[in-house]
Amino acid sequence: MIEIGCNQPYSDDMPQRRRLDTTAEWVELTTTAADWKKAEPALLATMLGQLHLIRAFEERVLDLAGEGLVHGPAHSSIGQEGGAVGSIVALRSSDAVNGSHRGHHQFLAKALAHVAQSGLQLDALVTSDIQTVLQKTLAEILGLAQGYCRGRGGSMHLQWFEAGALGTNAIVGGGAPMATGNAWAQKRAGTTDLTINYFGDGAAQIGSVLESMNLAAAWKLPVCFFIENNRYAVATRIEESVADTRLSVRGQGFGIPSWRVDGMDPLAVHLAMEEAAAVMRSGGGPTIVEAEVYRFFHQNGPYPGSAFGYRTKEEEAEWKKRDPLDRVAREMQKRGLIDEAGVESVRAQAIAAMDAATAELLEADPEKQGRRRIRPELWPDPEFVDVGVRGDASELASLRVLEPSVSDAAREPMKFVDAVAGVMERRMGEDERIVIMGEDIHRLKGGTNGATKGLADSFPDRVLGTPISENAFMGLGGGLALDGRYRPVVEFMYPDFMWVAADQVFNQVGKARHMFGGDNPVPLVLRTKVAMGSGYGSQHLMDPAGVFATSPGWRIVAPSSAADYVGLMNAALALQDPVLVIEHVDLYNEKDEVIAGDFDYIIPPGTAAVRREGSEMTVISYLSMVRHCAEAIEQTGADAELIDLRWLDRASLDWETIERSVKKTNAVLIVEQGARGTSYGAWLADEIQRRLFDWLDQPVQRVTGAESSPSISRILERAAIARTEEVVEGIETVRRNAGGAA
Amino acid sequence: MSTTIRMPEVLANVTEAAVQKWLVAPGDAVEVGQPFAEIETEKAVVEFAAETAGTVLELLVGEGDSIDVGAPIAIVGEAGEVALPVSPAAAPAAEESDGAAQAAPSDPESGSPVEEVAAPAVDAAATASSAAGALTESTPASAPHDGGRRFVSPLVRRLAREHGIDLAGVAGSGPDGRIVRRDITALLEGAAAAPAASVPAAAPAPAAAPAAPAAPATAPASPAPEGVEVIPHSRMRATIARRLTESKSSVPHFYLTADCRVDALLDMRTQINAGGKVKVSVNDLVVKAVAGAFADVPEANRTWGDDGMHVHASVDIGIAVSLDDGLVVPVVRGVEGLSVSALGARIAELAGRGREGRLKLDELEGGSFTVSNLGMFGTQAFSAIINPPHAGILAVGAASARPVVVDGALEVGQVMTVTLSADHRAWDGALAARWLAAFVARIENPLSILA
Ligand SMILES: Cc1ncc(C[n+]2csc(CCOP(=O)(O)OP(=O)(O)O)c2C)c(N)n1
Ligand SMILES: [Mg+2]
Repeated sequence: MIEIGCNQPYSDDMPQRRRLDTTAEWVELTTTAADWKKAEPALLATMLGQLHLIRAFEERVLDLAGEGLVHGPAHSSIGQEGGAVGSIVALRSSDAVNGSHRGHHQFLAKALAHVAQSGLQLDALVTSDIQTVLQKTLAEILGLAQGYCRGRGGSMHLQWFEAGALGTNAIVGGGAPMATGNAWAQKRAGTTDLTINYFGDGAAQIGSVLESMNLAAAWKLPVCFFIENNRYAVATRIEESVADTRLSVRGQGFGIPSWRVDGMDPLAVHLAMEEAAAVMRSGGGPTIVEAEVYRFFHQNGPYPGSAFGYRTKEEEAEWKKRDPLDRVAREMQKRGLIDEAGVESVRAQAIAAMDAATAELLEADPEKQGRRRIRPELWPDPEFVDVGVRGDASELASLRVLEPSVSDAAREPMKFVDAVAGVMERRMGEDERIVIMGEDIHRLKGGTNGATKGLADSFPDRVLGTPISENAFMGLGGGLALDGRYRPVVEFMYPDFMWVAADQVFNQVGKARHMFGGDNPVPLVLRTKVAMGSGYGSQHLMDPAGVFATSPGWRIVAPSSAADYVGLMNAALALQDPVLVIEHVDLYNEKDEVIAGDFDYIIPPGTAAVRREGSEMTVISYLSMVRHCAEAIEQTGADAELIDLRWLDRASLDWETIERSVKKTNAVLIVEQGARGTSYGAWLADEIQRRLFDWLDQPVQRVTGAESSPSISRILERAAIARTEEVVEGIETVRRNAGGAA
Repeated sequence: MSTTIRMPEVLANVTEAAVQKWLVAPGDAVEVGQPFAEIETEKAVVEFAAETAGTVLELLVGEGDSIDVGAPIAIVGEAGEVALPVSPAAAPAAEESDGAAQAAPSDPESGSPVEEVAAPAVDAAATASSAAGALTESTPASAPHDGGRRFVSPLVRRLAREHGIDLAGVAGSGPDGRIVRRDITALLEGAAAAPAASVPAAAPAPAAAPAAPAAPATAPASPAPEGVEVIPHSRMRATIARRLTESKSSVPHFYLTADCRVDALLDMRTQINAGGKVKVSVNDLVVKAVAGAFADVPEANRTWGDDGMHVHASVDIGIAVSLDDGLVVPVVRGVEGLSVSALGARIAELAGRGREGRLKLDELEGGSFTVSNLGMFGTQAFSAIINPPHAGILAVGAASARPVVVDGALEVGQVMTVTLSADHRAWDGALAARWLAAFVARIENPLSILA
């Protein structure tokens, strides 16, 4: 029997073809006169009020930008307010939103919905709560201490957790993975809450968005990918970027139900979002809403796009006729819900509110006649610059510290890798918040190395095997961490994969706490293993320590023994900061030992271990290289002091131990295994010479791998990395530099 | 056959100097007397002329590097002797050609660093499996220049400062001859036992070293107390300390003070300056009056020398010029023959270059007497320390309105107090008194200054 394809004529010499369909719904939603007639007057009033408050706010921001009072870009949402207002007006405070660089309107809509939960009164539009929202948001955009993020975030990083505003993002599309993580937490917590991630037509092409769509669909997470399709990415027309400009088509590929809607019609957006919310709140997984909108101005600043030649004045005039503020006012007038004067009064109230907010923040500039300036006392204190890069680790204060190197507690033999799985099993049993995720960690008897052995059996719903999308699942972990109800533990199968997830690792997770004001913690553990020596070649064998140590926000541990691993992992899981835990394949199968029956102690930040005391030189190392150092010291007979750092980051390094040792030995050898370029020791050597210059009798010496990444060929791999032989050479270098040769 | 050019001893007691600017380049032909380099000491920048003709084969020190006097700075040879591209071979060659007799106060074991440098390269080659970057800070492949800049580890620098250890004669055994902790261990022990001892234990400096610098003026320093920042001495500061300490403790000073009525002097200055063309200062007039006093009392124009009394034919007067942090004393020669305006211009010019650190060496040498004027700061009277080898220094205070008795009646007059510090080895009290009286007479009858 031959089945004939629906639109292919049958022919004998052609293979059999059958048209396939996706299962995901994809609809265009438009309002009818009946919809407008049916709409609740209170809903329409609230939308009109929000639209006018946002418009007046945005106009004020452009005015201030024109006066040179806004530092950096101010991406205006004027013209696009309808998408944000229509989609947010019916949200709960526990629903969440995040967005991109053009996010004032979304932030304000969410904040207004939060402080005026029963809607806006058009005759008394601006309550004191609303006045506060306007002033705090404007203050943030001006970079002032009273802003939501204490002035750190500005226009592109607006966050107000209580209102469900998770934080806007200057990396376009960078918020998608975090929103997905937030949705995971909402779902896991048993709520019917949802999260909306806003981004533009340009951002719709970025990997973070596409990876997140897939992950959310695979895991059925209540997140809406809301595309504000304004046809332009800066000055690039959408036709130049995509083949099908109807961006909601993407849902077809990911199995996500999608809506296309006129974003200049706030009611249409509202109705589409109602349908989408029903899907998300009922466990139907993610949705896509594409709103066709138009920004009346250029990317930023007070000029129209036509002034820059990438679009025409005529096109702009056409779209302006569809101004969402007018649309709602007109429809309300048709129903007699408001008259012309009423609309005028709404606008006047919004402008007055902005006048009041502005007056609180600005004053006449005494130096420039007729100019305004920011009230000088409102700026943040420059001392605040580094506050909140990380937390203060006070959360560890109540935990039991045990130092394996001096403890006389009984030991039991255990392979290193079993301690890795063992301590995690113990913690997951004690702490239901812990969720672990990564590629294949739920299969193969504990992932590719057995480091998660037994966990999937014990905690099947908390061991998440992820699709291959490091950026998405790293960001999902970040979203969980920001939410705070769960403790994500993310695994990167190999450290080099951090580069494909670099945005989420460094721009999002690493910076989030500081960038949004310094208070909201990002407790997350990232595990990965150094695999130098395993033959996986140039793209798998890096040591990530140097890159993380020179990027803000992260703490880093690199245990050299199983007993240390237990204490360091426990500290990492308890900390309110992102912590990178570096493991090494060479250590996994070592016959090591742990404190018998004790998986519950911590080894706190700032505690290096002196593995050997000596006076000739200070050898500083971490991870598997500690053993190579010990061997080399043995072989050379050097009277070296060997320091095992354990904590590697700027904030957690044990300076006291290093300083004490260097003051004694006056010579330093920093030992690591990996490539020279991204090496950890470069940073440390710089710090040491800076702090201890007058105590050094020779340059800080270093052992590293080669410049190249280790190759697959066994001989070349060996030549590219450091082991005992290279440490011996390093020790000899230190000796030569110590002089004294007769 | 090549010749090693050594850092000249441009100024007595200068042990260290730097090439501020090379005026020749390798390959240049040079003639005797041709400007070769600008040499900078703590006091001055001096042009150094070639003493050997030939072709410059190699310059051994970089501009700005401070090295010991006597250390090789360049090699001049015959045109055919093409300069060797790499230094290591050149330095020993220069040593040979020059012979050991002229050994400079440089590192005696110039050979050992060369070995040191070679060693890592050999090691690296021998270790087949060595990772390319494993030995991260490899020792530079070039050999040190004998007597070039001395390398001292930061630790040793600090310890030397804290314990008052003089590193001049210490041989460095680290790479490139770097003085490392081991090289001063013995010295440190010595310093602990007897703080005053500063005999280098490791390797004594060769006998040909110029007069060892006197012990630092300060006692061996203990570590600075809390709240005190230790700023290392500039060369100038160290020199001031050394020379003035030497002067005050070895020259028998005695002091005479006089008040001078200067109404007429000030009037005259006003008149001169009203003329418009030239401006003279009170100080110019004082210096000219000093010269006049020497004309009146010519036997005072003499200075003490260990070999005998030095009697000066002309009146060469040092003018103390204060700098931001320090002091130079350029000497104006033949003051007796200069008009006041020419003198003023000369003083201004010397002081200007003094402040820029651009005085020539001969402008800082010689003279028999110094004038130090703090009048512009409002100081009424002070006494100054003699600037050797001068026989005296006149400390000039500010002119101010003071009560004076004239013919038994009190009136107000402009009075300036001067204090003469004299070297009792050269001048006796009576001579000093006569000289001072002559000075006062000139000042109070100012036309005599111009005469
Ligand atoms: C990852 C990243 N690439 C580039 C930029 C620079 N950039 C900022 S906004 C923008 C255009 C974004 O266009 P779209 O997503 O359509 O949003 P719209 O500005 O239209 O609201 C670009 C390229 C960025 N911020 N982040
Ligand atoms: Mg766009």
